[in-house]
Amino acid sequence: MNELELIQGLRNGDEPAFKFLVDTYQDRVFNTAIGIVQNAEDAEDVAQEVFIQVYRSIHNFKGESKLSTWLYRIATTRALDLLRSRKSKKRFGFMQRLFGDGNEPLHEIPDFNHPGITMDRKENAAKLFKAIAQLPDNQKTAFTLHKLEDLSYQEISEVMKTSVPAVESLMHRAKQNLRKILEKETD
Amino acid sequence: MDNNRNNKIEEILGSLDGCHKASMPDFFYTRLKARMENEIAPVATKRSWVLRPAFALTALAVVVVINAAVILKGDTGKQNTSSDSETMQSLAAEYRINDNNAILFDVNQDK
Repeated sequence: MNELELIQGLRNGDEPAFKFLVDTYQDRVFNTAIGIVQNAEDAEDVAQEVFIQVYRSIHNFKGESKLSTWLYRIATTRALDLLRSRKSKKRFGFMQRLFGDGNEPLHEIPDFNHPGITMDRKENAAKLFKAIAQLPDNQKTAFTLHKLEDLSYQEISEVMKTSVPAVESLMHRAKQNLRKILEKETD
Repeated sequence: MDNNRNNKIEEILGSLDGCHKASMPDFFYTRLKARMENEIAPVATKRSWVLRPAFALTALAVVVVINAAVILKGDTGKQNTSSDSETMQSLAAEYRINDNNAILFDVNQDK
């Protein structure tokens, strides 16, 4: 099934077309989401939301970009949304604790172990993921898509609707910031 | 010392190079379908509730009642209009607004 047939099938509401879409792109969507949200259950939740959004809004897809580009864009947006809601919940929990409503202590999120990392690199990768979590959203997106999904700068620029030099600049700043964060951590 | 630290940082930064991609846990499609049925089905249920005969008949009865009320009010309105015109005529007669003689009378009166 080529991309045009797939899009047409999705627009017609064909279930085989939808299953084909999920089977083809589920790993890419999951791997992108897990890199950003750094939790397997949350990443699966994000992936479900991505495919539900595609199912609902396929009629709005103009076909100006590749289907995979559109999916990456939705996946990164949804993953960042989840991080934002997680942050606001954390802030609310802190306020509750401050005013004595919430008695439960706030737990730090445990180190994230990406399932694709080999044993000998797990410790270093966990430190790097902790640093990635502190990056601004656009640097985090560019770095994750490049390092975990092996996307080229050209592909990242299409996902992020920006230029290749802008992606180069984002990656440069991301690496600089990661180095600074890691220097502090290793002090 | 600094060299050691820099090497360590470079090692950490390179820890994602060549890592395998994470795969979606098994039976994702089944879970996705279940969630979609839960999220999308209620919309269909709402629609079917709107199309139920009891709701349709009640809606029809409400429309008939509103129409009847409008028609009845319209009749009363007409009656009101005729009584209004009677009042206007009596007022006009009293102040001789439509009476040409009244103007003449007034003119003559000035003389």
